[in-house]
Amino acid sequence: MVAFLPLLFVSIIAGFVGAMGGMGGGVVLIPALTLIGIDIKHAIAISIVSAIATSSGAASAYVRDGITNLKVGMFLEMFTIIGALVGAAITLIAPTRPLFIVFGIVLLATWWSLMRQKDEQWKPVAHQDRLSNWLELEGSYYDQAAKQTIEYRGARAYLGGPLMFGAGLIAGLLGIGAGALKVLIHDLVMGLPPKVSTTTSNLVIGVTTLAGTSVYLAAGQIDPGLAAPTIIGVVIGAFFGTRTLVRLSNQTIRTFFLVILIILGVEMIARGIGGV
Amino acid sequence: METPEILTPQERAVHTAEFNMEIAIGYILQIGVLLSVLLIALGVAWRWLSTGILGMDYSISGMNFFEFVLNDIRLMLQGALRPRLLVNLGMATLMLTPYVRVLASMLFFAFVERNRKYTLFTAFVFIVLTYSLFLR
Repeated sequence: MVAFLPLLFVSIIAGFVGAMGGMGGGVVLIPALTLIGIDIKHAIAISIVSAIATSSGAASAYVRDGITNLKVGMFLEMFTIIGALVGAAITLIAPTRPLFIVFGIVLLATWWSLMRQKDEQWKPVAHQDRLSNWLELEGSYYDQAAKQTIEYRGARAYLGGPLMFGAGLIAGLLGIGAGALKVLIHDLVMGLPPKVSTTTSNLVIGVTTLAGTSVYLAAGQIDPGLAAPTIIGVVIGAFFGTRTLVRLSNQTIRTFFLVILIILGVEMIARGIGGV
Repeated sequence: METPEILTPQERAVHTAEFNMEIAIGYILQIGVLLSVLLIALGVAWRWLSTGILGMDYSISGMNFFEFVLNDIRLMLQGALRPRLLVNLGMATLMLTPYVRVLASMLFFAFVERNRKYTLFTAFVFIVLTYSLFLR
């Protein structure tokens, strides 16, 4: 069996990075867990249960800061939980290699599209479509870095919702929060400010990963001996990651995010080709 | 460090119901995660102190979530409290955290904000989660 302390250490790092990028931490955790000798399906199951802790821990701070948009979160959760249930069910019966490759490609594509618009600051949505308006997707928050209140409206909910099903599917399938994909959908499709998209993504991940976890639990894939140090570690890491994020500017978060995306994309593809 | 002119969430809470809900959700998530980590850490520490072994080695065999929780509570009431049970309770608490958060949001949208649209959306999420926790 895998030693407690290495597991704890790896989990602390994963929790920190996860919280900073608005991710559940699984993207760092799963590769690391397999490197210290845990098979991929158990790693996925442990990762998804620990992602409940990372995202909920981080979300608790953001929600009280008034940055998270509860309505955007609730609307999108309807799509992500269905995706997560389907995704987890597929993983239980499917070989994962081709999925790693596809996921790596998705990460690299998103890295590329974010890279292109790196210098552009966030712009408010000019015209809100009728559906998004009916869904009351709007809000405001106080930006600590810019020292002003930012008002915003969300748009294109008709695209954001179905795309969130896909993000939920990836989350359940690979045992990650898929925060990277959720943030992208919030940013690029729905036009939410980066901080709102990151923090709302954290809230959505808590529920998405719970749906996925229930499938893995029912399948007997969750091993408490491995989950215990992992959960403790990610919570410690996320605690510090969260406190770093609220103080940084949008641009810093984005740059950090870009680096993470390209590393993960290359890594996923390499493992898919190399046989995990 | 907050400068004096920035309203704290508690101060803003005085003005609108929505901020109240945000604070409530914040506490549900925070207490849930902290309690869960505390229970798990206590379980691990207990085992370490009593056996000298750091870490555990067991798995949960095909139970749905509610069976898992009821089984643990039954064992606890029988006085069979042991490190493994604390770890299990910690994991159950963790899984209940987002679940309770959704329940609280549903009640808020239904009875405080009286927003029928969002009550329905939240109820849908709550029902799907309940269904998924019954899976085995």
